[in-house]
Amino acid sequence: MNNTTPQKEAIQNLLLRLELWFAPVLIVVPLVVSLVLVWDWFSRGFSVGLSRYDGELLLAILILFGNIAVDIQFLRSIRTLRKKE
Amino acid sequence: MAQYQADIIEQLNAIEVDAHWFRRVFHTFAASFLMYYLIPDVGWIGMVKIVVPIGIVVCIAIIDYRRIRGELDHQRFFGLRNYEKGRPASYLYFGTGLLLLLLLFPQQIAVPCILCASFTDPVIGESRYYLGKKQAYLIGFLVSLFLFLLTWYRADWRVLLTISLVGATGVVVGEAKKLWFIDDDFMIQILPAILLLLVWQAALFMGVNILPAPLILPLQW
Repeated sequence: MNNTTPQKEAIQNLLLRLELWFAPVLIVVPLVVSLVLVWDWFSRGFSVGLSRYDGELLLAILILFGNIAVDIQFLRSIRTLRKKE
Repeated sequence: MAQYQADIIEQLNAIEVDAHWFRRVFHTFAASFLMYYLIPDVGWIGMVKIVVPIGIVVCIAIIDYRRIRGELDHQRFFGLRNYEKGRPASYLYFGTGLLLLLLLFPQQIAVPCILCASFTDPVIGESRYYLGKKQAYLIGFLVSLFLFLLTWYRADWRVLLTISLVGATGVVVGEAKKLWFIDDDFMIQILPAILLLLVWQAALFMGVNILPAPLILPLQW
């Protein structure tokens, strides 16, 4: 029992570090993708009056807000875990 | 095991605090893979577009194979559920489904299916916990319907309605139908895609191409 508890704790810490390491990637990449889509819509579509790029704007908005909604909860859960640690 | 016991266990798994939101955020993150369609198809980049995704999924499959064989400790894989211990993990199913969609299906079919896997799945998961299964699937159906309507908005209204209803039904059935050997992360993507493919092919057989213009156009190289 004495051996398993520190081992479990070590695994928990490792997992927590892994999650924290992944967090910036999981949060930043969708935001970057949204911005790229908005930029593409603006530069190739809106600025030259082409409506066929409007779909990219829709997708950008969807990806942006969809991710932000979950990211907030995710960051809260990480903060809670860090406090516990 | 009685159904109520299975439901309780499923609920307990669903609220596993740390892994819980990690899994959700991984789902929504997957919407970023739509970036794939911005990459041009010409020259060596066209080859890279095919080889790299296959390579990534093969690497994941090798790691997961080693995990299942016990060479890698199951506990070191964050966010895995207990039932995934002796079978391929859901991330492998998700990756395989995504790969098939990107490589084998037209963009117009793949995009809403990827979006449903990214957003509908977490919405159903959260709703199921707070509202119960039936309401969760109803909400999931409505969210999927919205995503199909949004991505096929350029199609004729009859096509738009048919595709959205068929696609959203496929998503909910893919999520609700639990099979021990195929994860819902795979089914939620592939089932609606196959249904839409059949509708598209049937329409083509009758001489009508129902696919609207693609939403994402590749960058000029």
